[in-house]
Amino acid sequence: MGHKLNVNGDAVDIDVSGDTPLLWVLRDHLGLTGTKYGCGGGYCGACTVHVDGAATRSCQLPVSTLPGKAIRTIETLEDRHPALVKTWIDNNVAQCGYCQSGQLMSASALLDGNPKPTDADIDAAMTGNICRCGTYVRIRAAIRQAAGQTAAGGAG
Amino acid sequence: MMDTITNFSPLSSLSPECSRRRFLGVSGVLVLGASLPVQRALGQTAAPTTFAPNLWLAIDGDGTVRATVHRSEMGQGIRTALTQVIADELDADWSRVEVVQAQGDVKYGDQNTDGSRSITQNYDRLRAAGATARLMLRQAAAKHWGVAVDTVRAGNHEVVHAASGRRLGYGELASQAAMLPVPENAPLKKETEHRYIGKPVTHVDAGDIARGKGTFGADFSLPNMATAVVVRCPWLGGGVKSIANKPTDEPGLVAIETLDAAPSAGPVFAPLGGVGVVAEDTWTAMRVAQGLNIEWTGSPNQTFDSNELRHALRDAVAKPGTPVPGSEKGDVDAVFAAGGTELSATYETPFLSHAPMEPPVAVADVTEERCVVHAPLQDPQSARPMIAAQAGLTPDKVEVTPTLLGGAFGRKSKPDFALEAVELSKRVKRPVRVQWLREDDIRHDYLHASSAQHHRAVIDDEGKPTAWLQRSAFPSITTVFAAQAVQPAPWELEMGFSNLPYTVANQRMESAGIRPGARVGWLRSVCNIFHAFSANVFADEMASAVGRDPIEHRLSLIPASGKLKQPGQPAPPGHELDFARLRHVIERVRKLSDWDSPRPEGVGLGFAVHHSFRSYVATVLEASMANGRPRVSNAYVVLDCGTYVNPDTCVAQMEGAVVFGLSLSLYGDIALKEGAVVQSNFHDYPMLRIAEAPATKVELVPAQGRLPAGVGEPGVPPVAPALSNALFAATGTRHRTLPIRA
Repeated sequence: MGHKLNVNGDAVDIDVSGDTPLLWVLRDHLGLTGTKYGCGGGYCGACTVHVDGAATRSCQLPVSTLPGKAIRTIETLEDRHPALVKTWIDNNVAQCGYCQSGQLMSASALLDGNPKPTDADIDAAMTGNICRCGTYVRIRAAIRQAAGQTAAGGAG
Repeated sequence: MMDTITNFSPLSSLSPECSRRRFLGVSGVLVLGASLPVQRALGQTAAPTTFAPNLWLAIDGDGTVRATVHRSEMGQGIRTALTQVIADELDADWSRVEVVQAQGDVKYGDQNTDGSRSITQNYDRLRAAGATARLMLRQAAAKHWGVAVDTVRAGNHEVVHAASGRRLGYGELASQAAMLPVPENAPLKKETEHRYIGKPVTHVDAGDIARGKGTFGADFSLPNMATAVVVRCPWLGGGVKSIANKPTDEPGLVAIETLDAAPSAGPVFAPLGGVGVVAEDTWTAMRVAQGLNIEWTGSPNQTFDSNELRHALRDAVAKPGTPVPGSEKGDVDAVFAAGGTELSATYETPFLSHAPMEPPVAVADVTEERCVVHAPLQDPQSARPMIAAQAGLTPDKVEVTPTLLGGAFGRKSKPDFALEAVELSKRVKRPVRVQWLREDDIRHDYLHASSAQHHRAVIDDEGKPTAWLQRSAFPSITTVFAAQAVQPAPWELEMGFSNLPYTVANQRMESAGIRPGARVGWLRSVCNIFHAFSANVFADEMASAVGRDPIEHRLSLIPASGKLKQPGQPAPPGHELDFARLRHVIERVRKLSDWDSPRPEGVGLGFAVHHSFRSYVATVLEASMANGRPRVSNAYVVLDCGTYVNPDTCVAQMEGAVVFGLSLSLYGDIALKEGAVVQSNFHDYPMLRIAEAPATKVELVPAQGRLPAGVGEPGVPPVAPALSNALFAATGTRHRTLPIRA
């Protein structure tokens, strides 16, 4: 059956079974492959998108629950968070890069609600996003820099 | 002398990322292997517009430089680093360089992106490639102007005749340079003339990644492509006996295909077999796969139990093993018989899974004429003939192109997942993407081997060993390649065991192997993980037995100068373990960590040092116990990797190695029961998360002029022992088994 969604400001109509997770709608049906599959269980955060502004695991969201909600993905993040994307690049945050779409979506949701986060705020907001390459110290630094703060560093 | 380079700010990078630098997946079209100019070789008279003097670079008439990278990018920054080398000697403008990802092809030489050796193997040849092109551009300009070659110089994408002020861009010179014979032994730049080598350059893919545009394995697609999820037998070597409930009318289902089982012993890279569910989209394939009720055939591995293996490994190191040839010095037994202060300890480590964030995935399109594969492969070249065999074609009909690898750590050296895609594409006669689920990844990996080590020593009043017996037992990686293999291979023992760098008059090394009922493979730093763990913790135990400072004690075990003569195969010239360099990283990490300043009660510092992949790494961790769990607050790492290309990447690899090492130190534990892996996803195979990541300071030893050594792996081995030693300093509890849970 058809599901009317709002993705990155565009109205789209998707004909899939209602239990299809948003992740696979984005990737397989809308060609928005910036959102990644990492675990399918909501553990790793690679599939993080914004739903009505909140960082949300798209692998856990059946498409049937989403009509009327505003979905945003990594593909349009730079429009709203150019400084964040720039600090990510300038700091060479990414190693393999696979988790970084999710990291950026969590980081941007944090900054939307808390423009001057402490390291403890950052750790709390980013704890759902695993990076196997271990880029965490640069993620902290880049978020603080994007927020106009000097990087402080370590485990909070 | 040696200056300190600490945590480069990439803001000082030479240039921002360049959006033109796309991940070009095509090669072999204009980048010629032959030295003949393109069109002259074809018998045409018109001047060629592309100058392609060798495999590694091509310059178009518009001045665009296309640098070919033949190694796979998995986060180690190799697409950037190899391009830095080519562009530096070419004197190219970085913003006009594009990166072309090479397909798997023997013409490039070794493409196996593992062993932390891409720079070691390619530094000289890629410098030469760039320098050759630069010389030819100068020759072309000199000829054009009718002046002597030595009166013109190249710089920043152009050739200049200073005397007359004339200049020509590389693009303008491309046609004429392409007509010249390729010279040999083109002069290389002096180190002081390097403009990209040794400088922190922003990664070429950083912009695409931060915008969600990077093409990883699952992001590549072909028209009419189907997606498959494969249900595999829980134990190695089992096949499909029956499928009780094969659906037929599921919307979007394309096919359900039974795949042959892998051999139960020595499977090499054969697909595991099982049931391939091919569907129009991923979710349909996942849902149908999950609902299948499959009965499997038996296999000798069905009774495999990792706990029993661990008992067997412990038993193996409790008794004499196979002596490492050439390792025996003096008379260990006589010293033990004579008595004295004796220490002995046994260390244990579990199986580990690679768990790259991108699970294995591959796209294949097989027709009767050709086969195209796009996949995150560490070695597209060795995969090519295997893919050809699976497709029933000759290798010349097969194209294998690596995508970006979403992490690999050794897992994606094995192309079994690509072979699955090839087989299914052949069966359903359309392009197929095989998508491994995270559960598939954890349950069907080539596991890092579980191990046991036993150390026994007699020490003197200063804690120095007068006799040292060490034993190591683990299932060898060679068991995957040969059905009869049992014993660890010499190269596995040379990973931190038989090349122990400490002075001991009486020494013996023994090893033992046991065949496992699962596939074992190499994981980032391989056997160095457990060998560095046991040796560094045991050394710490020697120091504490006599109340000596662990770093002072360790330095007392290492000669002031000279090179290690290791048993067996000598290290390649220039890559021998150099005692002065080993001591140097230790001295520096002592300073970097402010080692001699007392920490608060309950906070301890732990030290470890290890030489692997030709590099030297010393690590200090600051740790304590918090709420019954180890907590690491600070990490200090000093790396000497010889000549480095991108210092910021080197620092990043050390930062990442601390996190990777802490994940395995605190959480990594794969168990098998009845032949099946017990864990399945990140809830029961956890990774370190951001709140647990310590502040990390890295120093890179400037050692330009020395041979370039490994960077991707050598940061990992010292982490686990440094943590164990730090917790001992903090709490007095000695941890000899990984993971350290409390």
